[in-house]
Amino acid sequence: MDPLIVTQAINLIYAVSTLAVLALGLAVIFGLLGVLNIAHGEFIMIGAYCAYVTQSGRWPYLAAVPLTLIVCGILGWAVEWIMIRPLYRRPFDTLVATWGLSLLLRKIAEAIFGLGFYSVNIPVPGTVHFLDTEYPIYRLLLIAVSLLIVIGLVIWYGGSRTGSRIRAMVSNPELAQAQGISVRRLAAGTFIVGTCLAGLGGVMLAPLIPVQPFMGLDYVLRAFFVLIVGGLGSVSGLLSGAAVIGGVDSIISATSSATDGYFAVLVLSILFLWLRPRGIVAHS
Amino acid sequence: MSMRKQGPTRRTLLGAAAAGAAFGTMPGLIRPAAAANEFKIGLFIALSGPASLFGPTQRACAELATEEINKAGGILGRQIKLIPTDAGGPPAETTKSAIRLMLEENVDVFVGSHDSATREALVGTIKGKVPYVYTPVYEGSECSFNTYVTADTPEQQIRPSLAWMMKDKGAKSIYMIGDDYVWPRKCNEQAKKYIAENGGKVTAEEYVPFGAPNKFEEVVTRIKSAKPDAVLITLVGADNVNFNRTFAGFGLDKDIARLSLLLEENTLHGVGADSSKNLYSCMSYYENAPSAAAKKFKADYVAKFGDKAPQLGRIGADCYEGVYCASTLVTKAGGTDAKKCMAASEGITFPTASGDVTMHGRHVDKTMFLADCNGTEFNIIKTFADIKSGDECKA
Repeated sequence: MDPLIVTQAINLIYAVSTLAVLALGLAVIFGLLGVLNIAHGEFIMIGAYCAYVTQSGRWPYLAAVPLTLIVCGILGWAVEWIMIRPLYRRPFDTLVATWGLSLLLRKIAEAIFGLGFYSVNIPVPGTVHFLDTEYPIYRLLLIAVSLLIVIGLVIWYGGSRTGSRIRAMVSNPELAQAQGISVRRLAAGTFIVGTCLAGLGGVMLAPLIPVQPFMGLDYVLRAFFVLIVGGLGSVSGLLSGAAVIGGVDSIISATSSATDGYFAVLVLSILFLWLRPRGIVAHS
Repeated sequence: MSMRKQGPTRRTLLGAAAAGAAFGTMPGLIRPAAAANEFKIGLFIALSGPASLFGPTQRACAELATEEINKAGGILGRQIKLIPTDAGGPPAETTKSAIRLMLEENVDVFVGSHDSATREALVGTIKGKVPYVYTPVYEGSECSFNTYVTADTPEQQIRPSLAWMMKDKGAKSIYMIGDDYVWPRKCNEQAKKYIAENGGKVTAEEYVPFGAPNKFEEVVTRIKSAKPDAVLITLVGADNVNFNRTFAGFGLDKDIARLSLLLEENTLHGVGADSSKNLYSCMSYYENAPSAAAKKFKADYVAKFGDKAPQLGRIGADCYEGVYCASTLVTKAGGTDAKKCMAASEGITFPTASGDVTMHGRHVDKTMFLADCNGTEFNIIKTFADIKSGDECKA
């Protein structure tokens, strides 16, 4: 087959799978807790800076994973406790509060690291001959890891006791509380999972992009588009949203131009908000 | 030597004391009097937004020039006061600041280091009422009334570096990739002429939306299948980093040379050592530019701001020459009258971070450096001396 088509096809799979992981944390927090976390992109940024710190400390790249989980976990816990807990069931207020949080986190990153670009070396450099074409190994690995994370979370959510408690909390918090489930702790845990997932996304992407305080803005927008198109509260919604947004952008960027690709993403998102505000997979 | 000349007499002392007392009782009068005597420069730099990583350097370099000029007596005997103003947001916001600076602060001169979209908006707002010096790197042909340009022009930046790329490196086919706004598009228009002059051809010309969250896998794949000899990059900031990292990640850096038109020290840090092979840049200033003036400038800069001073680069160092250009121009014109400034601009010589330049046609002829990226540092491989700006505006 034409190597150009093969490469663009892998680009498409890469775009969709990384987008799914980047939107995952947002989907968890928005879909399960009803909190519009505008600071999602900044948690991605924090993950990327953790990767940079790991590299400048000359630790192995995978050490960035526990570091990010600790940093984003503690931050997520503190933010939920101080800021989010008083605002549950007030989605618009959470939007304004987390917008402020995103400004604060960006300024903190600026205070610590400055405004300059940092680059993180690709941990597995080089390309591999794959289906008649050369493709970067690291990007292929990212596709695999992204799929593993999404599948892992789906299995855990569907099969574990904690998963069923979260489902109970989401469908009827009062009844869940009456059943002896600590809704408050469960919600805090869910928020922390969301921020940690964002951080992990940042660690994964850090070697491919410039690490800087503003980087989160690029991702939060796309992640929201995914949720708009896909719909809230289900994994199939997340995946279909990522497939439509990532896929349309990738296909049009490959066949026409990046400008047309971005244009199509914007038009699609507006059309969905207008005609099908609950997304492809509507959740009652 | 008489007694009278040694010190103030009792009479003058009394007079001074009386005057001092009079002023002392009217503090409101002192301030406007002092402020009226200051020479105010409205400095448009990026204090917010993605370009704000240049802000600290832009400000520091302007302050260095201001300090030097003030020590030497200021402009027409008036001490310079810099008013750093944000030009990192949308152009409409910057024009609002320009109006405020003109009406409330009565600024004497504007100096600007920002993108071309903002420049076009500012020119339309200032309307030549206040002299405006534009400094970074640009696409040429700015001849608006009472506007003075020290920026690197395509004739200085693109023509010699492309000629080198095509003759010495043997690149015959060029792929163009840029952000979608006025600077990249006009630069590429110029570049097409130079490519034709050297007997080459343009493989493709492509733009990505400016300010959108761009990714470059698809673009790089397309470049790979088009197999050009070289890529001419007019992407800026994070897009430039992102593209170059993706380009090298796909392994294209081995066979295809890259010439980037806005690649300075900060951006190269982001591109990183693993992605900067076979990548070239051409500008009038680098931190390690091989001229005595550049070395002295850097030493003065470090002496004033210390080892932790903001990273030097063309975007930032341009503000140093901007303040000097304004100072020299107004001094020669004897004031800020637009017509006198226009007439005075022809032939003025003033210092920049890499040596003195002379203004012709409200642009400057200058020496350009071609640099090869060696890890995250620039290695100057060629110097193009005294290149004409190619823009002749009527004085």
